[in-house]
Amino acid sequence: MKVPMKWLREYTHIALDAQDYAQKMVMSGTGVEGVEKTGADFSNVVVGRVVKMERHPNSDHLWICQVDAGEPLQIVTGAQNVHEGDYVPVAREGAHLPGGVKIKRGKLRGVESCGMLCSGPELNVPEGLYPHCGNEGILIFAEPHTPGEDVKPIFGLGDDIVDFEILANRPDCLSVWGLARESASVLGECFNLPEISVREDGEGTFDDYAKVEVLDTENCPRYAARVITDVKIAPSPMWMREYLYGAGVRPINNIVDITNFIMLETGHPMHAFDLDKVREQTIVVRRAREGEHLTTLDGKEHVLNGSMLVIADKENATGLAGIMGGEESEITEGTRRVLFECAAFERGNNRVTSRTLGIRTESSARFEKGVCPETAMQALDRACMLVNLLDCGRVVPQAFDKYPHPAPVRTITASASRMARLISVPVPAEKMQEILNGLHIATERDGDTLTCVVPPYRQDIEREADLAEEVLRLYGYEHIPSTLMRGETLAGHRSPRQLVLDKVKRTLVDMGMYEAYTYSFISPKWIENLGLKAGDERLNAVKIRNPLGEDTSQMRTSLVPSMLSTLAMNLHRGNAEARMFETAPIFLPRQAGELPEERLSLCIGMYGEAVDFFALKQAVEELLFVFGVSLKIEKGADGYYHPGRSAHYGTIAQLGEIHPDVAEKFEIPRRVYVAEVNLAELGAQETPVGAVHELPRFPAVTRDIALVVEEAVPAGDLLDAIVSAGGKHLEEARLFDLYRGERLGLGKKSLAFALSFRASDRTLTDEEIAASMEKIQAACAGLGAQLRK
Amino acid sequence: MQEKLQSIRERALERLNQAADTGVLEQIRVAVLGKKGELTALLRSMGQLAPEERPAMGQKVNELRALIEEKLAERERALKEREKEARLQKEAIDVTLPVQPRTSGAMHPCSIVLDQLLTIFTGMGFEVVEGPEVEYDHYNFELLNLPKNHPARDAQDTFYIDDNIVLRTHTSPVQARIMTTRKPPIRIVCPGRTYRVDEADATHSPVFQQIEGLVIDEGISMSDLKGTLDAFASRLYGEGITTRFRPSYFPFTEPSAEVDLTCANCKGAGCRVCKGTGWIEVLGAGMVNPKVLEMCGIDPGKYTGFAFGIGIERITMLKYGVPNMKYLWENDVRFLKQFR
Repeated sequence: MKVPMKWLREYTHIALDAQDYAQKMVMSGTGVEGVEKTGADFSNVVVGRVVKMERHPNSDHLWICQVDAGEPLQIVTGAQNVHEGDYVPVAREGAHLPGGVKIKRGKLRGVESCGMLCSGPELNVPEGLYPHCGNEGILIFAEPHTPGEDVKPIFGLGDDIVDFEILANRPDCLSVWGLARESASVLGECFNLPEISVREDGEGTFDDYAKVEVLDTENCPRYAARVITDVKIAPSPMWMREYLYGAGVRPINNIVDITNFIMLETGHPMHAFDLDKVREQTIVVRRAREGEHLTTLDGKEHVLNGSMLVIADKENATGLAGIMGGEESEITEGTRRVLFECAAFERGNNRVTSRTLGIRTESSARFEKGVCPETAMQALDRACMLVNLLDCGRVVPQAFDKYPHPAPVRTITASASRMARLISVPVPAEKMQEILNGLHIATERDGDTLTCVVPPYRQDIEREADLAEEVLRLYGYEHIPSTLMRGETLAGHRSPRQLVLDKVKRTLVDMGMYEAYTYSFISPKWIENLGLKAGDERLNAVKIRNPLGEDTSQMRTSLVPSMLSTLAMNLHRGNAEARMFETAPIFLPRQAGELPEERLSLCIGMYGEAVDFFALKQAVEELLFVFGVSLKIEKGADGYYHPGRSAHYGTIAQLGEIHPDVAEKFEIPRRVYVAEVNLAELGAQETPVGAVHELPRFPAVTRDIALVVEEAVPAGDLLDAIVSAGGKHLEEARLFDLYRGERLGLGKKSLAFALSFRASDRTLTDEEIAASMEKIQAACAGLGAQLRK
Repeated sequence: MQEKLQSIRERALERLNQAADTGVLEQIRVAVLGKKGELTALLRSMGQLAPEERPAMGQKVNELRALIEEKLAERERALKEREKEARLQKEAIDVTLPVQPRTSGAMHPCSIVLDQLLTIFTGMGFEVVEGPEVEYDHYNFELLNLPKNHPARDAQDTFYIDDNIVLRTHTSPVQARIMTTRKPPIRIVCPGRTYRVDEADATHSPVFQQIEGLVIDEGISMSDLKGTLDAFASRLYGEGITTRFRPSYFPFTEPSAEVDLTCANCKGAGCRVCKGTGWIEVLGAGMVNPKVLEMCGIDPGKYTGFAFGIGIERITMLKYGVPNMKYLWENDVRFLKQFR
């Protein structure tokens, strides 16, 4: 909320400059976004009186003006609306104007010119702030001013504006009075609320002019109204325009400005109706009829539902209560009689309506945070005081006021010593009492017991802890000491899930991979791109009702699309190689109303010169190894993998080259490799390192065997055959050579294995080895393998 | 014979001195001391001498033999040393030649920081606890004193799945889950992904990570919160980094505080990073609202507690001077390679 310092200073004494004041407010709990001066975008512009004007000898449209700007200046201008004797804004040499313009001395068609006469738009003077300042010609001041004087005060510019950030618990500070009251408490100054007294100079009483029916007092706990007759619509005075502009509100006319002024000053949104345009001069506060239509002030048409509170006349809804008025009863130049509404609407209902219809206004923003019904009448009378002051109408005696259930007085009993313990600061009970009283929380003390009466506008204060915070924030948070917890010591530890993640990350990082973070929500199109078969669980996703966009509209059921997109981005940025992984849950829906399954998963993705299927396979096998899980690789994986270059390990992992069609959809025009691992399952199957084996005392015997087989026989099958036939003494079997050549014949390959045999209790004999080798040979022969000669 | 002995001696010693390698030494040994060597021959020709001269002469020959053997050995040692030196010199390599490209990768910077945080907090006796990212409104909001249509919900613009299920806006629902199922003392940290309706820009991301801490026990006070956060600050950013508390508002804590840390860049002196204030706004914290304890079934008359929430991205950006939050989510390997 933006507030001019001048306005605040009307109600309390602030000796500090704006910056120091802001700092003080921040340290006592009122946020400040920033401080800036109005009219900061120009400088060195002063009042000038045009003393003499002559035609430029070399031009038919330029004028040479002799100007008194505190000093005599000669200025050439092209403007045609200036006359001798006019008072105008003069940008002197060295002046800065909005848009980065800097004024320099120069010559115009041979005649020296030392400055510039300015128009309103050239100074960026907001329209409505000064009469005719939106016009194109030179701005002519309405009244004489002292030549040489700074023009900013004339326009109502140059004040410090503090932009407060009011937190949700302090709606009472969404007003000048609230902030002045808070400032006074913080600075130890008095808060000077003006005396409210209305001069009721109209005829008759409220009932002679209008009727109000409140049909829903639950959602409208208070409705106060007054009638103004003999209204004279005109611009507001300068001081009011200046305050409104400083607070970021555009001045319109006296009546509308008064309602805005009251909202800003008291925190009570008001509405002004042109009473002659309200049918039968009757205002009805009721719920909307289901499907009822309403056109709001901004010209938009809405269809309402039965929970929305509206302001209606005898027939139709004419405004959304506390959100926006209707077009019909808008204040215009011709308005003669006005009904001022100052009501309190229930915040929850207001919030739901405003969200549902997508309308947020200054008014709704206040109501949905909570407007105190207690002070509504005060605000309404303050508005009428301004009508008196501005002389823009006559206030009819007696106000309408329906407030059936005044808020009860809230009293809290608190223990000073308990509060001191909670905040860890030994504030004496007397000091607490003083602080609370300073906050207008009337506090009496009986020893350690404080009895506090909470003012109605402090709805945030409900119990002792709230009072403790009030005490601490005014006493100063800087007094909180620093201690470490005492009491029972607890054994801290990482979660099992965290331990799995730590191990996975360490392993993959050691293998040269980089960890990626991608969004948990993706485009439905990305899942489509994978071309999953009907019935695949990943086709059914958790959908976000209010996503940022289609691209991030569903929770991912696979990490693969995000990985492919990440790889594509790296490729397009010219990174020659990428080896990455991401660990995150995938989200698989359960029954409606239940939370989805969050299955912790890993995705590895890589491309590059040195990357192939086996680089990927190595990473997966390394992971299986460190988790002590032994699973056999088998051919084949999901359809988005290359059918001949993909594999899986049970249900824990699958890997392979991505199918070129899918890679193309993700704009990857090269071979790209991906593996997916179900970390939940991998973690569950982890086996710890058992008792260690003793180191061997007898030597191993090694033998090599080279086998020629048909191309289609997988190496893994041969290895399996060797291992199972090799007997208990076969310690290791390792493929060390793969050869294809003409000498072997077409469609054949040779695989050479290094075998190592060992017994734990003796050195094996040649006979024993020979017997094993024979068995191995025989087993391999079963796969069509022949010894290579 | 005497002269002959003398000339053998002179020649042998001279050749010895001039020998350039151990091969020449061997030639000298053979030529002088060998079976057919000069000295051996001289010894054999001693028969020509008078018997009384023989012992003296024999002694002289043996002395010369011993001398030459000694000189040979000495010379051999010297030459071998020189040859070794020469070999070592020849074997010198250019140690500045580059090695293979780096083989170890890196965790994401946020994971690195999170890992440090977990080490710091587990060291202080905190247990790491996790919970679902798609969460019931009940745990994410209601149990934390944020009833439906409460204005404080505005500060946490929420992704909804349906009326009762949301993407968690903070990791606090994990605290609510723990409070409703465990008895104090409770001392937990909850790291994880969180979500808010924010367009991605230099300081926002719709997906981000938090770590929240919760302590509930008898006699826990605000100074314990400050002490814990001071310890966290100095261990993560280094000695001399402390905290500053400012009053604030969170529905689930009372009193609440915004916590600033000493600017690690200027150590509090004031610089561009902290906009001259010497402080950086880093996290929110406070004493657990007694209303929350009550709703979660913990007796607020007996127990008090504190809670804090730290944005992982924010402290990662501060720690490594990352200029734009987008860097953390786009995964350009040229960025990720800068970590270890």
